[in-house]
Amino acid sequence: MRRLRAWCVRLWSLLGKGRRDREFAEELASHLEMHCEDGMRAGMTAAEARRQALIKLGGVLPVEELYRDRRGVPWLETLGRDFGYAIRMMRRAPAFTATVVVTLGLGIGATTAIFSVVNAVLIRPLPYPEPHRLVHLAVSYGDRGSAIFAPTVDYAAWKNRSQTLSRIAGHLGFETNLTGGTEAERVKAGAATASLFPMLGVQPALGRTFLPEEDRPGGPPVAILSHAFWKSHFGESAAIVGKSLTLDGTPHTVVGVFPATFQIPDRYQADYDLWVPFAIGDNGRAKRPILQTIGRLKPGVSVEGARAELATLVRPPRSGKKITVVTEWQEQIASGARRSLLIFLCAVGFVLLVACVNVANLLLFRAAAREKEMAVRRALGAGRARILRQLLTESVLLALLGGVVGLGLASAGKNLLVTFIARNLPAMEPVHLDLRVLAFNVGLVLVTGIAFGLAPALQASRGELNDPLKDAGRGATDRRSRHRLRSLLVVFEVAVVMVLLSGAGLLFHSFLRLRGVDPGFQPDRILTLNVALTPSKYPTPREKTAFFQQVVEKVSTLPGVQAASASTSLPLAGYSMSISGLTVEGKPEAERQVLVSIVSPNYFRTVGIPTVRGRSFSDSDRGGSPVVAMVNESFARAFFPGEECVGKRIEQWKPKTGWVTIVGVVRAIRPAPEEQPSPELYFSYLQPEGAFLMGSNMYLAVRAAGNPKSLAAAVRADRGRILRMVLSNGMKLIGAGVAIGLLASAGLTRLIASELWGISATDPWTFAAVVMLLSATGLAACLLPARGAASVDPTRALREE
Amino acid sequence: MSETTNVRQGTLALMVLKTIETLGPLHGYGIARRIEQTSGELLSVNYGTLYPALLKLEQEGYIASAWGLSDNNRKARFYRLTRAGAKQLEREERGWEQATAIMSRFLSAAKGTL
Repeated sequence: MRRLRAWCVRLWSLLGKGRRDREFAEELASHLEMHCEDGMRAGMTAAEARRQALIKLGGVLPVEELYRDRRGVPWLETLGRDFGYAIRMMRRAPAFTATVVVTLGLGIGATTAIFSVVNAVLIRPLPYPEPHRLVHLAVSYGDRGSAIFAPTVDYAAWKNRSQTLSRIAGHLGFETNLTGGTEAERVKAGAATASLFPMLGVQPALGRTFLPEEDRPGGPPVAILSHAFWKSHFGESAAIVGKSLTLDGTPHTVVGVFPATFQIPDRYQADYDLWVPFAIGDNGRAKRPILQTIGRLKPGVSVEGARAELATLVRPPRSGKKITVVTEWQEQIASGARRSLLIFLCAVGFVLLVACVNVANLLLFRAAAREKEMAVRRALGAGRARILRQLLTESVLLALLGGVVGLGLASAGKNLLVTFIARNLPAMEPVHLDLRVLAFNVGLVLVTGIAFGLAPALQASRGELNDPLKDAGRGATDRRSRHRLRSLLVVFEVAVVMVLLSGAGLLFHSFLRLRGVDPGFQPDRILTLNVALTPSKYPTPREKTAFFQQVVEKVSTLPGVQAASASTSLPLAGYSMSISGLTVEGKPEAERQVLVSIVSPNYFRTVGIPTVRGRSFSDSDRGGSPVVAMVNESFARAFFPGEECVGKRIEQWKPKTGWVTIVGVVRAIRPAPEEQPSPELYFSYLQPEGAFLMGSNMYLAVRAAGNPKSLAAAVRADRGRILRMVLSNGMKLIGAGVAIGLLASAGLTRLIASELWGISATDPWTFAAVVMLLSATGLAACLLPARGAASVDPTRALREE
Repeated sequence: MSETTNVRQGTLALMVLKTIETLGPLHGYGIARRIEQTSGELLSVNYGTLYPALLKLEQEGYIASAWGLSDNNRKARFYRLTRAGAKQLEREERGWEQATAIMSRFLSAAKGTL
């Protein structure tokens, strides 16, 4: 307590130093006078008495110095003086300062911006109570695909019987038709169990969340609105609670509105307009068969422990196997983004490193100009540590300004960044510059300030006292070592840039390869449209088929349209349906899960997927005629390796179709360039066996018709030699940097190997291109000063020397 | 001079406090002289270190200072004890008494009784 008080007083006394100094001088003067008087009273002469008094005191100046050190905070005052001096130095060289600050600002800003995203996605815990006990639960069939959903039957089993979970909740996104307003509207909706919102700790801004009795099959239809939807559709009217909304033809009572901040953390950026209860029965029956499930572990239960228990509770599958996957929720949400974010962070780290090296080089350059100043300081008694400290203060101050610029850039740039990489980012709490990011930024400033300042400062604080003061000393060994240091920095910088460019080059090259991939269909001139019907208006498959048939016919006759089709899936659309329990004639063991699409007969022609064997669907494959199917090449390979599959028969278990004959094989389409196509089965929507599988959504696809200085500069002969010399010096450095960079890149690019497609991490062409680019840049960078050097007037150079 | 001892670090503060307590508000020179006299001129106070010590005590709030006039009408800075200073003095006095009592018992113990 007393100490704290003392420090406060000391800090306070940094103000009004002049007054305090005067006061103490007065106090000492009165002390000396009293002492003198005593001495004279004892018989001394005035001079002798004063001498004795001064001896006893120990001299006025040392005492004043001692007193001042005790009164204020000496190191802080030194720091303040150093800062003042640094600011004066910066003012004197505004161009230099601006260059350094902008360079550092870019480096620090980029790093801080990426870090703010890393922080939001990977580091900051989920903003819920005990976030590390929240786990994501999923069930996968076989090893294909990532586990995202769990069947509702398993959800019900876990909910009723699990001993390792204290709570369980789930949600699933879907689309629904909102009617009753001026015009029907397709809205994004989430179905959630009533337990979800208490688990996330979200309080509605208005009304309430779901009650347990609303969250069961046959419960009253209710809905909660998102804040954005409430604002755009109801003008934030509080009277909305209790009103009714018609969703897919059913009136739903609005019971609440969420606050604007609420967003469900999700890998896929679920951004729902409204929510309805999921309504899972105790037996697991529900309108929707699967959901994203989140559980809260009981205290002391490990993720592995929960997995072991939950796996025993899932309903055994009819065939194959079910794998229960339990992951920490945050990890599950971030899983897609972790790797790319860390790679990003490393890359901007490298950029920052390059910026530091650049600034260090600039400082070294300036150090040459300040040689005399340093020598004067040393001559006046400044120790090496003192000079080092002053120079580091200067560089940290520069870094500090760079940090401020960087923080500004980061806060402006992070939004851009988030929009830019949003598709790969899970929706979590918003990215913002919180305390952790700020601390990171400050840490970065200190580290960079010392990183780029240390070498030049060490260099400057060294050296002989007299050398730089005498003009004869110019060009001495000191300079040579500074030159060596700068050369090293250039080599290092080129090496780092080489690594960066190699990484970027590899990614770019694989992007080019991706663009060159044959997608398996002809994507040009195709327009697509997702059409969803209100289920209550078109309850039966026959009515849906009739609707889409009519639309396709009408669209086909529009001028400029070459072909039109309807289908439940599209290549690369990312949505597909799958069925399990498929029996292949003569192969009872081959019961497997396959993708299934329901299409209009001219689908393959419209989208441009070639039929490789057999025939395509025709208008005569309709109700009453023999049931036919088409398959893709993967299906043929998987079920009929080495056999002809056209003419073979398959049977579907649900709905029972009876035997279906395969009439044709089409090209297999990769779902994504880096993925292998899956076995897929096609039915025509004209046959009731196929139409039965249709939902209310179909994609309409329409194919439209038509549309869619050389460096050789004339260098004067007499300048040629100088030019060659400067160039060869520069190019040697660049060559060394390229060599080191090549080795480093060969090692480091392995890290991004999994992000590459179609080329190896040590792709020689990419590397060659990078080396060429870097060398050309280096050549240009050497050429400018070299030409400058070559055109200097010799007499002027001598005079300056 | 050889028989005088320099004041040990830390004990100077206690002596200052005690002196002010006994004599009331006093200036720096007076405090130094008084300490030397009380010790029977056996202690030599380094006057130069007295002022930082006074400053420290003032920063800690044990003493307070104000300008005033000395006996022979000279302007001087007078230091007085604060309430916190009085309490601190009491605490330190007790500590010292205890320590010296222990030490003297220890040193005067007859051979063999330890």
